[in-house]
Amino acid sequence: MNAAQMQSARKMKRTQTILFLIVLLALVIWSSIGAEFSLPALFAGVGESFRFIFLDFLPPDFSSLPKLLEPAMQTIYMSVVAMVIGSIVAGLLSFLAAATTSPHPYLQVFVRAATSLFRNIPVVIWTILLVAAFGLGTIVGTMSLILISIGMLTRSFAEVLEEIDMGQVEAVRAAGGSYFQVLSQAVIPQFMPGFIGWSLYNFEINVRASTIVGMVGGGGLGFILQSNLKLFQYQKASMAVLLVLVIVLVVETITNRVRERII
Amino acid sequence: MTLLQVEGLSKIYPDGTKALDNLNLEIRPGEFVVVIGPSGAGKSTLLRSLNRMIEPTNGKIRFKGEETMGIKGKKLREMRRHMGMIFQGYNLVTRVTVIKNVLHGRLGYMSPFKGALGLYSKSDTEAAKSMLQRVGLYEQMYKRADELSGGQQQRVGIARALSQKPDLILADEPIASLDPASSETIMHYLYTICKEEGIACLCNLHQVEIAKKYATRIIGIHKGSKVFDGSPEELTDDMIQLIYNQSHARVKETA
Repeated sequence: MNAAQMQSARKMKRTQTILFLIVLLALVIWSSIGAEFSLPALFAGVGESFRFIFLDFLPPDFSSLPKLLEPAMQTIYMSVVAMVIGSIVAGLLSFLAAATTSPHPYLQVFVRAATSLFRNIPVVIWTILLVAAFGLGTIVGTMSLILISIGMLTRSFAEVLEEIDMGQVEAVRAAGGSYFQVLSQAVIPQFMPGFIGWSLYNFEINVRASTIVGMVGGGGLGFILQSNLKLFQYQKASMAVLLVLVIVLVVETITNRVRERII
Repeated sequence: MTLLQVEGLSKIYPDGTKALDNLNLEIRPGEFVVVIGPSGAGKSTLLRSLNRMIEPTNGKIRFKGEETMGIKGKKLREMRRHMGMIFQGYNLVTRVTVIKNVLHGRLGYMSPFKGALGLYSKSDTEAAKSMLQRVGLYEQMYKRADELSGGQQQRVGIARALSQKPDLILADEPIASLDPASSETIMHYLYTICKEEGIACLCNLHQVEIAKKYATRIIGIHKGSKVFDGSPEELTDDMIQLIYNQSHARVKETA
């Protein structure tokens, strides 16, 4: 490459960079106008938000705590049940959905498509649909959590299965192992850490999601939170929020400990 | 009497690569046959075609007097259990114990149900223990397989193949990932055990000197075809040149 060519290559590179920055800026401006976003409005709102949080929400009303314990337990029950059922169902489905273990490619595509439906419809929508069909309550909340758990876990599990060491599978097959023997003796040992790790993570997600689920009629803490907000009982509401935070942190700590032990 | 007879074996991969080209081969009981040849010559494909881990495109394979091309399901599993396989990467199930890995060699003999649940019989377990004793790993039997060194893992690999009570062991570059000292140990175990048990062995190797040291017969493969088949004494330097010929081709393949 001679000097002139190098010069032009450098120039080209610079033009590309400038062009990219211009396009990026244009996109940001366009989107801000579209979203009616403006910085002054943001700052004008800050004072109002702080006033709302500090005067209306704080301090939390600790006297309402005893009444919150049962809904809090409901939240945990829902999350546990959704995790257990979700991970069992997803555990079975993932073997069909992973390229390494699926008996047939068509089955693989079908399971992937079906579970992506569970996963990609937001949990709020599932709950609203299920509430319309079954009425309010924790059972509906649990059902919608199960659906998203299956959706999320099938995909995560399938990815774990697709990353296993096929050499170990080959060895057991070469020794005369049948399909199910190979699955149980060579695949599942490699699958277990991922299975447990993702299930625990799913539990955390369920605890968080159950608040939202509760707010649209799925029972648990979210339901109480929603009623408090509607009745302008903000200090009771902030107590509920605080409790959600505590539960999430405790669950995270516990699952992290378990995960470290196992993996 | 021949243990294994291969006639006109060919394998063409879907991308058009001709890995095996009309290959003939014969193994008698108790022979220790070493296959040498440059990388990509088709040594691995040959071994995996024999136990049908790879489906050959064409040819005839006769093992213990029975036609094995095209057999499926239960018959295929029964054929495989008589062929132990040892791998370059050991291929132990790393997260389970050493003894369980040895017991995997029994799966081909068990009902699918019992095997899937890992319900190994007492006599199988005892046999696995004595096998580990034999390869000097009795004390390590309840360790997880990935706690062992490479050489130790390959000894477990030998014990696993042995627990199948095979008539033939297929060893695919068993020492390619090991240091010289461990390589020596592994070849020693493989050779003596095969000899004592009267098991025939077909072993892919890269190292010509080691091939000459252990082999009762050497087969040279180049570009999927057999170019040499004879005793170690017959393998002259010129012959080695021929097998690994075209030095530029060799450079290209290792690059």
